[in-house]
Amino acid sequence: MTGGIAPPIEIESIGGGLAFEVKERSGASPMSCYQCAKCSSGCPVAAGGDFRPHQLVRMVQTEQRQAVLSSIFIWQCTSCQTCTTRCPQQVDIAGMIDALRAISRGEGSAAPGTAVPVFNDIFLDAVRERGRIFELGLMAKYKLRTKRLFEDAGKAPMMLRKGKLPLYAPRVGGKDEREALFGRAAEGGDQ
Amino acid sequence: MSYTFFPGCSLDGAAKDYHRSTLAVAAKLGLEMPELKDWICCGSTAAHSSDPLLADALPAKSLSAAGGATVAVACAACYSRLKTANHHIAGDAALRARVAHVVGRDYDGRTPVLHLLEILCRDIGLKRVAAAIRRPLSGLKVACYYGCLLSRPPEITNFDDPENPTLMDQLLEAAGATPLAWPHKTECCGASFSITDSSVVLELGNRILSMAQAAGADCIATACPLCQLNLDLRQRDMERRFGCRYNLPVFYFTQLLGLAMGCRPDELSLDSLIVEPKALLEAKGIGR
Repeated sequence: MTGGIAPPIEIESIGGGLAFEVKERSGASPMSCYQCAKCSSGCPVAAGGDFRPHQLVRMVQTEQRQAVLSSIFIWQCTSCQTCTTRCPQQVDIAGMIDALRAISRGEGSAAPGTAVPVFNDIFLDAVRERGRIFELGLMAKYKLRTKRLFEDAGKAPMMLRKGKLPLYAPRVGGKDEREALFGRAAEGGDQ
Repeated sequence: MSYTFFPGCSLDGAAKDYHRSTLAVAAKLGLEMPELKDWICCGSTAAHSSDPLLADALPAKSLSAAGGATVAVACAACYSRLKTANHHIAGDAALRARVAHVVGRDYDGRTPVLHLLEILCRDIGLKRVAAAIRRPLSGLKVACYYGCLLSRPPEITNFDDPENPTLMDQLLEAAGATPLAWPHKTECCGASFSITDSSVVLELGNRILSMAQAAGADCIATACPLCQLNLDLRQRDMERRFGCRYNLPVFYFTQLLGLAMGCRPDELSLDSLIVEPKALLEAKGIGR
């Protein structure tokens, strides 16, 4: 080498199955990580989880599949993209975590104690149904489904008073088209 | 250049004030941006953390209907999702084919997407913005807060410096305000954890407010519905939990620009702010 930075190493092919699956789903390359922990330094929620981002990447490299997929941290990540932006090896860590969430749910391994998967389902159902999100309806459904009826009870009236919570539900046409779109996406988009 | 506006779901809901103030500022500048017909939700975090293909297909459906116009976006989350889908689709022919099958029509990933901040600073230009100022925001010290998704990741958004963006600072400076140098411009507010675990938002939001206060801010300016809502709606809860007092109004940058351009407070929905800005604006002689 005569100066310059070497391109990131692509070694998913010799990594374990989970690293390969992450790469296939998200394009992220966890095998390129050399554990500098810059991701964890900048992560706004690293302090509160069971693992920190660089540890999670290492566990993917070493095929600790069950521990990774049942980690609560993957559901605490706010997708702020700080890790991805700062990684010196261009590992898309936020993309990796997206892939891990999907795999975790697919295998029924999601950690108990997170309401995020339920929220995501309700959100996407609403998009399929109406095309747009109706916040009041979304909140009501979420509260009923998670039985968190009284959490933040004072917020909705305050938002209503301030005109921040319209009572009118938006809806765009093309519901059949959207149903078909969601169906084809679930099948992987292959013709 | 012609624009079409993608407001996104929040701007028809909790961020109606952002919507209204955006249109008011656009009118003052003669900026025409008719709403994109039949746009649908960008899918937000729910889509990209569930199914990457759906997360690209939902934006593709809206973007493929733009008919050659540049899509103007106000919400940072929509902006991020639309630009990410473009990045994926334009750079991967196989994915483009899969998305085309899912959406039911081909889309090349090349509809330009710009945030309002980019349009005002770069397309309209600071000179034209400055020329539209009628009541400068003199003496108003503003902490410009960009949040996560405008500037990150830079390969996708190509917005501004990812660690120290300045587009909003430049605009508000052109409007006569004093933007502050402060280190939490792009820290995360906790976003949709506002619903699923609000303790995250209290913790992260408190760090942002305390840093803004330490920098000497009179108020905060935002460019994202969730940033605004989290810092405004939950500010009293943060004060209670952490035993401090902020009383920092959290504006959309369009509300501040609108005030400087001579818009009436009702055109900017100032009364929808939870932390009352009235005393501050009166003390600074703004909006009179």
